[in-house]
Amino acid sequence: MNKEINAIIKDFYNNDYILNEELATSLFLLKNLEKPLLLEGNPGVGKTMLAKTLASHLGTNLIRLQCYEGLDVSTSIYEWNYQKQLLHIKLFESEKDKKALENQIFSMDYVLQRPLLQSIRADKPVVLLIDEIDRADEEFEAYLLELLSDFQISIPELGTIKATTKPFVILTSNRTRELSDALRRRCLYHWVDFPSKAKEIDIIAKKLPNIDQVLATQVVTFIHNLRKSSLHKPPGIAESLDWAKTLLLMNVDNITDEIVHNTIGSVLKHKDDVDFVRNKTVQEFLFPID
Amino acid sequence: MVEVTKTFKERLIDFTMYCRERQFVLGPQETQDAFVIAENGYVLERKLFQYSLKAIFCKRKEHFDRFDEMFDRFWSRFYEEKLEQRKKQIKLIKNEPDTATVIFLGAKFNVPKKEKKIEAKQTKGANESIRLRMTDFSKVDVSDKKYLEELALELFHQMSMRFKRRLENSNKGKVNIRRTIRQSIGKGGLPLDLAFKKKRKEKRKVVFILDISGSMDTYSYYLLRYVMILKKYFKSLEFFTFSTKLTHVTPLLRQNNEQEVLKQISVNVNSWSSGTKIGESLTEFLSSYGNRFLSQKHVVVVLSDGLETGSVTVLKEAVKTIRRKCKTLVWLNPLKGMKNYQPIQKGIINVMPHLDAFESAHNLDSLLKLEKLLMDV
Repeated sequence: MNKEINAIIKDFYNNDYILNEELATSLFLLKNLEKPLLLEGNPGVGKTMLAKTLASHLGTNLIRLQCYEGLDVSTSIYEWNYQKQLLHIKLFESEKDKKALENQIFSMDYVLQRPLLQSIRADKPVVLLIDEIDRADEEFEAYLLELLSDFQISIPELGTIKATTKPFVILTSNRTRELSDALRRRCLYHWVDFPSKAKEIDIIAKKLPNIDQVLATQVVTFIHNLRKSSLHKPPGIAESLDWAKTLLLMNVDNITDEIVHNTIGSVLKHKDDVDFVRNKTVQEFLFPID
Repeated sequence: MVEVTKTFKERLIDFTMYCRERQFVLGPQETQDAFVIAENGYVLERKLFQYSLKAIFCKRKEHFDRFDEMFDRFWSRFYEEKLEQRKKQIKLIKNEPDTATVIFLGAKFNVPKKEKKIEAKQTKGANESIRLRMTDFSKVDVSDKKYLEELALELFHQMSMRFKRRLENSNKGKVNIRRTIRQSIGKGGLPLDLAFKKKRKEKRKVVFILDISGSMDTYSYYLLRYVMILKKYFKSLEFFTFSTKLTHVTPLLRQNNEQEVLKQISVNVNSWSSGTKIGESLTEFLSSYGNRFLSQKHVVVVLSDGLETGSVTVLKEAVKTIRRKCKTLVWLNPLKGMKNYQPIQKGIINVMPHLDAFESAHNLDSLLKLEKLLMDV
């Protein structure tokens, strides 16, 4: 593999994130082709963490925009500072040159910069994380298109603001709705899947160095078998880590029915799923896989 | 930087077209990005080239899952050549002696005639898509099955996108005075931003009732698969199957894994390929699920050949009641796609007056016509 990609994998490993070659290649292209990267995958597979780790790998800031239904331009891109504008008008009421006054109040000094505008006006390239884009409305996707393809934002009163530095853009989606083709076409794409058993054991061992290898293997085997069951919400890596932490705190060295009964709440977040597991024995989930 | 020959570029364009024919949404920008990758020398390492193209060409999970196999099929011959032979094809560009190389890949990259023939067979072009759309489900070749499902997935996706856009456009309402005044407080009382009353979004609610009796055997599997695909895009879709007994299948569709869903359906639906009692099944639907799944927001789609073995009066009454309680009642009959078909069966004759639409459902094209019916909701 390319030296630079190996360096990315190594550096991410030092930052407690285990990358595979495929995902590392996508990050390599994100840096070299300067295109946004769209990450899709189930909740809890490490999409958001990837952006955070990328920021520390590049030694830059992370600007995060958490999407939600109803997110609009004024909360994500910019908003005029109305109070400041009104104050300015009051202070200079006697000003005769009304045109100059108008030009003053519609300048960058009176713009409140929101995450997207901040990211393109930063002094050095930042990592811009547009998290859970599938939660935002389709209209918001349309606002993003200009930013993602040309790294510029149009403000009607000011004109087009071009990026002083191009941010490294990462978009994440849990696939609760389909994103538009226009948005997808502007991005590189990677589907982040659940990790293999060996990789997940590595992740747990990396994050929790004190954990016993046998316990880590049991946790991962249990979780992997759970993912194969028909659950409403299959557990992600975050849940594996939470459970491993819980077991470590309780000084558990072997998973038993009682332990599962008492701690499964840190793994499963749906009543039907919890009942499903509690009605089975631990051995049913600890048979070897792969 | 490396220089890539015209022949190699043509091969890369061929691969882009090969992907496009398999429903990948690729434009000139993607091809240009692929050239950049080739010029950066990534082509020399198989994995690097594969993963780079994967990141650029794939736009959704379905593409992501299929890409590796397609890449192997198209590029395996290239990478089977010994590394040393390939290194010989690389020369440094004089102007950039330290880093740049030139690839003379052209001559070696001509695909032998035999392989060309194989690829031509495997490649499905635009005409192929049209052919598949028109193919009767009962005559679908096993080799075409996979392509047909991929095509259906893509076309239903496009259909759902059209739905969403039209719904959004129709959702702007009048100015909301109360909220506009409330918002203006922070701006010195000036109503700079107007708030609008949003019309309540009318969610489409669709109920599919699929006949899985023996007479529908050749169609029911495909219709089931397409309802499963539709379910991905219509969250409020409810799905029932019947032959002699009605089964509510929606809870089984919650699984992420399609194979698991099919397995669950085969375990839970006991009346597969048995007799047809449409009237009794629809009456059961009315009594058990009518209150939950029938309203003026619901479109009911019955997928059946209408060959009733039970009482025709019961069927007529059930259809009449369903029609009264729902917004639209559509009957899709695979037999309607046959030449010289006439709705002369007793069951069909009796229900026809109560239907809003009576359409065929024998191929993908006829299923896509559902869009118009669902859009009118």
